Amino acid sequence: MNDLGWFGRIMWAFIRRELSALGGYRAAFVIRLLGVGLAIASTVFLSRFVGAVANPYLASYGGNYLGFMVLGLLAATFQQVGVSGLAQRIRTAQMMGTLEAEIATPAPPWMVLGGPPMYEFGAAALRSAAYLCAATLMLGLDLGRANWLSLALAVPLIIAAFSGLGLLAAGTTMLVRKMNPVAMVIGSLSFFLSGVLYPVSVLPGWLRALAQLLPLTHALAVLRGALLVGASPAALARSFVALIIFAGVLAPVGAAVFAYALRRARIDGSLSHY
Amino acid sequence: MTAEPAVVADGLGKIFRPPAELAEMLRGRFYGKPLEALSQVSFTVSSGEIVCVMGPNGAGKSTLVRILGGLLMPSSGSARVSGVDVVAGGADFRRRVAFVVGDERSFHYRVTGRANLHYFAALHGLSGSDARRRAGAVLERVGLAAAADRRYREYSRGMRQRLALARGLLADPEVLLLDEPTLGLDPRGARDLRAFLRDDVIRKTGRTAIVCSNDPTEAKAMADRVLFLDGGRLYADAPPERIEAELGL
Repeated sequence: MNDLGWFGRIMWAFIRRELSALGGYRAAFVIRLLGVGLAIASTVFLSRFVGAVANPYLASYGGNYLGFMVLGLLAATFQQVGVSGLAQRIRTAQMMGTLEAEIATPAPPWMVLGGPPMYEFGAAALRSAAYLCAATLMLGLDLGRANWLSLALAVPLIIAAFSGLGLLAAGTTMLVRKMNPVAMVIGSLSFFLSGVLYPVSVLPGWLRALAQLLPLTHALAVLRGALLVGASPAALARSFVALIIFAGVLAPVGAAVFAYALRRARIDGSLSHY
Repeated sequence: MTAEPAVVADGLGKIFRPPAELAEMLRGRFYGKPLEALSQVSFTVSSGEIVCVMGPNGAGKSTLVRILGGLLMPSSGSARVSGVDVVAGGADFRRRVAFVVGDERSFHYRVTGRANLHYFAALHGLSGSDARRRAGAVLERVGLAAAADRRYREYSRGMRQRLALARGLLADPEVLLLDEPTLGLDPRGARDLRAFLRDDVIRKTGRTAIVCSNDPTEAKAMADRVLFLDGGRLYADAPPERIEAELGL
């Protein structure tokens, strides 16, 4: 059996266990659904308010604030899942006491710890697709000009860059044994600078330069370009190159930091406590 | 030529360096006072032998079995379990050696005992049908077949200990490392679990076992030999009849 087959079995067993456990979280599930409903309602009213006037900053996005905001929020959520997923998983497993028992099995650590963030990525992707469908069908979001090739090329790069950040965040969390400092810093900075709710072009020059150092800025440029104005990969080349660099640097650096943190945990004996 | 012992510990030592308090960190010191949990511990365990490790709380028993289980790296010395260096570890090592911890927190509370085992079976690389068959077999073996489809949170303490044991048996290991397997059980439950462990799980299959315990009754009921630890040092290696004398009871 190869590693991918083994990982597939772990993923499947994990998904079955999570679905089985959902029965015990009915109230939380209902509350989450309510939260989604409120988020959609807020989106509608905010887009009506902002979209009511012609906005020069939105010209390069086809003047479509609804699409601009929906994609901004979805990508920010996706980043949050990537950056926090593994760290949150480790924190929970340490607190629950399952981490030591799982690491004691023959599965390599990347399989033990990789399943839950993959599940969260998958769930976030499904949620994002559902939001986009809902926004298209119910709110009139127009994706008729979307360039699906640009999107298909962008998604793996975005996942690789966010996963690299996730490994970095998880490794740091294991080392400091406290909150997730990387997720907090990256999350706050990205929301502020990357153009989640407003275009980067409204920022002063020095903040615009700083925004280029965040992967979410480029992820949003590609996603909005591909889905709202149908930009081709060539037209988005600058952002694609930035994403390739982020993925190429963050993934190996994150993996190295995470491997070091896991080794430290085996030295410190912190696998079983937090 | 004699076969290699199932467990060989040679001069094992472990020093923990806890993180410093914030005030110390600001002065540039990132680690607190070192704590020596094990010092120069050497012993061997023959194949098929049951050895109990005894000693007061903080003696280093759990540290020792975690090192032997490959979950903790020693600061000095070396150890081989089932012929494999514990630091090198690897998947094959973790198939041959099972670390059974009765920690109640180590299972998912909201799913059934069977679903918990299916997940761990996947971590052992078993396919869906093999996982179901193996989980069913070990649940039967530890006497939990009837309760397999109840949620873990509904299990009694004894059932939880048995489920932990079932998890340890999923890969049919050669060596079992048991950390206080009857902790918190009532006397009758503890007696039954000990007899089951000794006769059905270990003796009948020719497995080797190292059992950490504070309980002289447990050591006498299970062990061929007892190692006595105190302050991280191994001070005696004696038959179970010597327990009271060695512990000063």
